[in-house]
Amino acid sequence: MKKILFFLIASFTIISLHGQEDFRKQRPKPGPAPKVKLGETQEFQLDNGLKVIVVENHKLPRVSFQLFINVPLIQEKGAVGMSGLAGQMLKTGTSTKSKAEIDEAVDFIGAAFSTSSNGMFGSALSKHKETLLDLMTDVLYNPSFPADEFDKLKNQTLSGLTFSKDDPNTIAGNVATVLRYGKDHPYGEITTEASVENITVDMCKEYYNNYFLPNLSYLIIVGDITGKEAENVANKYFSSWKRKDIAKERFETPTAPKEREVAFVNKTGAVQSVINITYPLDLKPGSEYATKAGLLNSILGGGATGRLFQNLREDKGYTYGAYSSLSNDPNVGYFAASASVRNEVTDSSLMEFMNELNRIRDVEIDAEELKYAKAKQAGSFTRSLENPQSLASYAFNTARYKLSKDYYSNYLQRLDRITAEDLKETANKFIRPDNAYVLVVGNKDEVVEKIKPFDADGQVDFYDIYGTKLQPVTAALPSDLDGDGVIAKYIKALGGADKLATVNDLTTKMSGSIQGQTIDITNQQKNGKMSVTTSLSGQVMAQQVFDGKKGMVMQMGAKQPLDEKQASAMKIQALPFPELKYGALGVKAELKGLDNVDGKKVYEVVLTRPDGSKVTDFFDAQSYLKLRSVQTVEAMGQTITNTTDFAGYKEVEGIQFPHSITISGMLPIPLKTKVESISINSGISDDVFKIE
Amino acid sequence: MKLSSLILAVILLTTYSLSAQRSIEFEEYTLDNGLKVLLHQDNSAPVVAVSVMYHVGSKNERPDRTGFAHFFEHLLFEGSENIGRGEFMKYIENAGGTFNANTSFDRTFYYEVFPSNELELGLWLESERMLHAKVETKGIETQREVVKEERRQTIDNQPYATFPEEIQKRAFKKHPYRWSIIGSMDHINAAEEQDFKQFYADFYVPNNAILSIAGDFEVKGTKKLIQQYFGTIPKGKNEIYRPNIVEPPLKGEIRDTVYDNIQLPAVIQAYRTPAQGTEDYYAVSMLSTLLSNGESSRMYRALVDEQQKALGAGTFPFPTEDPGLEFVFGIANVGVDVGDLENAMDAEVNKVQEELISEKEFQKLRNQVESTFISSNSTVQGIAQSMANYEMYFGDANLINTELDRYMKVSKEDIQKAAKKYFHKDNRVVLHYLPKSAKP
Repeated sequence: MKKILFFLIASFTIISLHGQEDFRKQRPKPGPAPKVKLGETQEFQLDNGLKVIVVENHKLPRVSFQLFINVPLIQEKGAVGMSGLAGQMLKTGTSTKSKAEIDEAVDFIGAAFSTSSNGMFGSALSKHKETLLDLMTDVLYNPSFPADEFDKLKNQTLSGLTFSKDDPNTIAGNVATVLRYGKDHPYGEITTEASVENITVDMCKEYYNNYFLPNLSYLIIVGDITGKEAENVANKYFSSWKRKDIAKERFETPTAPKEREVAFVNKTGAVQSVINITYPLDLKPGSEYATKAGLLNSILGGGATGRLFQNLREDKGYTYGAYSSLSNDPNVGYFAASASVRNEVTDSSLMEFMNELNRIRDVEIDAEELKYAKAKQAGSFTRSLENPQSLASYAFNTARYKLSKDYYSNYLQRLDRITAEDLKETANKFIRPDNAYVLVVGNKDEVVEKIKPFDADGQVDFYDIYGTKLQPVTAALPSDLDGDGVIAKYIKALGGADKLATVNDLTTKMSGSIQGQTIDITNQQKNGKMSVTTSLSGQVMAQQVFDGKKGMVMQMGAKQPLDEKQASAMKIQALPFPELKYGALGVKAELKGLDNVDGKKVYEVVLTRPDGSKVTDFFDAQSYLKLRSVQTVEAMGQTITNTTDFAGYKEVEGIQFPHSITISGMLPIPLKTKVESISINSGISDDVFKIE
Repeated sequence: MKLSSLILAVILLTTYSLSAQRSIEFEEYTLDNGLKVLLHQDNSAPVVAVSVMYHVGSKNERPDRTGFAHFFEHLLFEGSENIGRGEFMKYIENAGGTFNANTSFDRTFYYEVFPSNELELGLWLESERMLHAKVETKGIETQREVVKEERRQTIDNQPYATFPEEIQKRAFKKHPYRWSIIGSMDHINAAEEQDFKQFYADFYVPNNAILSIAGDFEVKGTKKLIQQYFGTIPKGKNEIYRPNIVEPPLKGEIRDTVYDNIQLPAVIQAYRTPAQGTEDYYAVSMLSTLLSNGESSRMYRALVDEQQKALGAGTFPFPTEDPGLEFVFGIANVGVDVGDLENAMDAEVNKVQEELISEKEFQKLRNQVESTFISSNSTVQGIAQSMANYEMYFGDANLINTELDRYMKVSKEDIQKAAKKYFHKDNRVVLHYLPKSAKP
């Protein structure tokens, strides 16, 4: 017996020498959970009402000062974007310093400094703190709002909007905001070009005068500074700031829809749908449900391990990412679940979203999923503690949301106590797939029919890109009208076929501007020949010539012949009024339906050329004038949707011409042009169309 | 051997804490198998970063296997003898940790950050990666696709993003810096099992690595665990390939045009610069700060604010172990001719060459460099990475405390000299990026 035992031990030893050591075979056990102790913070208030929070941390010799203005809920009405602009304006000049001097002063001490609608932030090495505070308080007390800097910032804001307004994600964000809160709530206000145009520098000054007040503000000091020093600088720099009482306005709290509503924004030619399922909810920071809701959302859609991502991306491959958020807010919170998906799986994706939202309400989360979700949340909280700024933000939230003093220090215990049952209850309270707006931004022709069933009453509501509900275009198409009929009425509206046929040659001069540069376009057409010259600030940038058979593009000194497909398209474009010859050219016109363009009822006509390429034109249902033309093309390996809008029709020699033309899609920024002149039968020389 | 380096570390440690008031204190020692260990203890938050840096980057690749080092970084998340496929990341996330990895021209770095009670998990994961990583055919196929997707997303579909490889192949003719880190997709497709085995056996060995740990841990117990997990990993048997190639001077400007999916043309200049750590390197670095750090910098103010020729303009380095490059770039505003823009960029460089900078501007530079240097060590992960970098490149992890002195030694005259010595036409590659539509 003893012998056998010895033999066993011996052979075991040999194995472990030659094989791998046992401890490597499995994951080591974690040590006891670390004692998470939040560092001390110090809080005091100045006589003018300014509340100061100090987080001492001497690890690095640097310090930051954040001034947070707790601006009450206000409406910006016609001038949305004003407060943002006012915030940016602050550091563009003071009564004694220009913007360049402020930049220079910031860089001189290697500091960082920014201003916004609700305050300012500065950080620097602690030895420079007084220089930094001199600068920050100069900006705080003496901003000069220089007119030229205002114009510059306003233009930048406008360019930014022009740049992004057609982006489907931006559209979805804007429309979801309006749907959730309604346009009458401050949260539901969105910045548009029109609203920015209305902003004046005086409004910015007024905003600053009304709200940059110590009694609304918190000063948060973090870093290499002692409590005593912090008190000294707070008094020295901020005690002379004058308080002023202000009235607070009350707004009705937005509520979720009574039943599920599908909202649609049309993006003609889109190949993807942006989905956003959203509604407002009552979830306040620090409330009974806040921690549970955070854990619940991380399981549902809080990242790559969330159920939405796992289902829609990893399992189905519908999208690059699908996520959700369950956001708390002292006024009104919200839920949102979103993804960008291919057109053909838009309805299947909505189905999976609904499945996941229902599953988390109906089925208790299993123990393992719950355990790991808690570990992730706890780990993320624990890791945040090495940054003194997160400690400061916890202290700040505790103060501004009036949370119990131990709210954050008890976070991990609170998280640990959450049960699967708690989460089911939380899900049933906050995850409401039947009381949600289901917003889809996408291609109407390919998507709308299939998503109707997701609406409680089967009616999809249409919105424009800024969330204004469009009149339902339910009216049936006139039974006696078809594609050719619309084209015929368009020809008649322009001046009639006989009149148009008298046009032998046509010269159109247009001008517009891109980022402060003037762009001039001259378009000459004669008997199926065409020449387009584009100049930038007087310099010719590009020229396109078509002699009736072949074409050439010259750009920045380089020549390139048009390929066959491009040339065949030019054959149609070169005609001043191609509609007159659609029959001969083999262009087929199909009346697709009724739609809206800028609030006007229009007929949508899809034109198919002999080569199979398609253009969609939109004609005013009353005047029959063409308001929009959309074409999706493949260029440089990307799908680009070009949209041309026509407006300001005026008569020239008995024919209606649009005098305002906006081209968007192929340029980084939409180009809005004004027609400067139109001359008919001026006798253009044939030399213009010669290709050497 | 082990004892003496320990004693040395203790002696050094005392010196460090005397020399700098708020220095980052650390211990360093070497295991018998050659693995270097760096430990920085900071118990102020219950967080710990575990990292391993391997001294292998794209410059150690065979010319017919470019992109291999980076591809390998992806493969080493696949699993090991004891970690199933795809479980590496799950272990980390389910423990509340976070992770990442990166590959440069000269080294590859892996790290995890955990709540401090999971330190041992980090040691286990990294030791598995070093001892017996397992790469299966399915994993290779998957990661090939991931790397290709990474290339599409970060290079092919990003405007201007081909510029590093376009510059590198013109700026270097002999040195392996002539190819990009992401490398050739054909080479990655061509890689065979033997290539993987060889690369792993050559480079993923303890004597080519640094284990760097920073954060909340107990030193004595941790050293024991390090010995347990890493002490028995065998030393590499093969000689480690370190290219000893001196790239000859450029001797004449190289100019070219690249047509890309862009709307606005751009000018990208790359000057050949000295290796990091040399005196001239610090002067070039200060010159770069002068030209482009902050809204009051020379290039930003002149090109973006005043002349409005550029939408954006600036400089940045390729910091490399062997002599490398400093980039100067400008993206043209709508309607601005690239030639005009380039002249305006050159004018700023000429100014530095011709006029000594003022005392005040020099002081600003020094303040900016100091602020950046001091602020850079704010997280345990950042400290672990910096210590390992300094140790790997200069054999002196303590540069994390003292490298600033090297910057402070640079004089106004040194900056002017560096501008003349390195920022001249015969020492640069210039690319004009133009829209594809402008291609003749």
